[in-house]
Amino acid sequence: MKSSIAVVADADTVTGFKLGGIKEGYVVESTQEAEETLTNLIKEKTAIIIITEKIGEELREVIEKFTKSSALPMIIEIPDKSGPSDRATDPMRELIKRVIGVEMVK
Amino acid sequence: MSQEMIEGINPTRMELLKLKDREKLAVKGYSLLKEKRNALIMEFFNILERVKGSRENVEEKLKEAFEDLTTAQILMGDLAVNKAAMSVKESIELDIDSRSIMGVVVPVRDSTSSSRTVVERGYSFVDTSVKLDEAAKKFEESLALIIELGEIEKTIVLLAGEIESTKRRVNALEHIIIPRLENTVKYIEMRLEEMERENFVRLKVIKKSMEME
Repeated sequence: MKSSIAVVADADTVTGFKLGGIKEGYVVESTQEAEETLTNLIKEKTAIIIITEKIGEELREVIEKFTKSSALPMIIEIPDKSGPSDRATDPMRELIKRVIGVEMVK
Repeated sequence: MSQEMIEGINPTRMELLKLKDREKLAVKGYSLLKEKRNALIMEFFNILERVKGSRENVEEKLKEAFEDLTTAQILMGDLAVNKAAMSVKESIELDIDSRSIMGVVVPVRDSTSSSRTVVERGYSFVDTSVKLDEAAKKFEESLALIIELGEIEKTIVLLAGEIESTKRRVNALEHIIIPRLENTVKYIEMRLEEMERENFVRLKVIKKSMEME
C-alpha cells in the first residue's frame, strides 16, 4: 500500500521537511487552523502526519481520538526549532508504567 | 476468598448442571486469555527494546538539521530557502503494511531507504548554498528515523491498550466470576445433600409411626 506523508507545523519546520522530500507541508498559525488541517488530512487517509510537540500538546484530545484504536494514521510528534520541550511527564513512559506496573528504565 | 454467589438461583439439579458447564467455560476462557496476555506482554517487552533511545536519536538528528537550515537561511536568505523548498519534486513514498499481534493490528514500515541523490531533490544549484544541501540531507535522514519512531510508538500504544483490556478481563474472571460460580455450585450441592437428608429422616419417621400402629 502506498502511503502519503504530511507535515503540519510552523513555517521553518515545514520548509525543512519540504527540503527533505515531503511536499505536503501545511503551515499553521493557530490551534484552530491546526485542528482543521489535521481533520482534513485524516479524512484524506494520510498515513503519516508529522506535527510539532507544541501542536500536539494543544490538540492532545483530538489526536488521541484518532490514534487510540486504529493502526493508521500515525501521528508523530517532533520537537521544533526551539528544541525538545521539557515535558514533566513523558506520555510514553506513563503508558509503559501503567501497563507493566513498574517503572522501566528507558 | 469471598463468599459471593450468583443471586436468584434455585437449588435444583438442572441449575447445578448448567452452572457446572458455565464454570468449565469460564475456566477455559480464563486460561486462554491468560495465554493471550502473556504473549502480548512478551511482544511489548520486545518492542520496548526497540524504543530505547530512538526518540533521543530523532531529537538529536533534528537539532542538527535545524541548525543547518538556520545557517542556510542566514547565508541565502529566507526567501531563497523557501524557493528551494518549493521546487522539491515529489513526496517520498513509502509502503506501510500492517501486521497482527494476537489480533492487534499494528503498522509495519517496509524499509526502503528514503535518501535521494542531490539532483533528485530538484532545486537549482546556482543560487543555493552547500549548507542547504546538508540541511536537506539531514532532514531526509531524520525523516527515516521519525517514521521508525512513529511506527514503534504506535505499536506500543496499541499493544498497551490491548494488554490493559485483556488484563482486566483476566482479573475479572479470576477474582470475581470463577469464584462466584464455584461458590454457587458448592451452595447448590450442599442444599441438595441437605434435602436428601431431610427426606431420609422424613421417611424414617413415617416408617416408625406406621410400625407403631
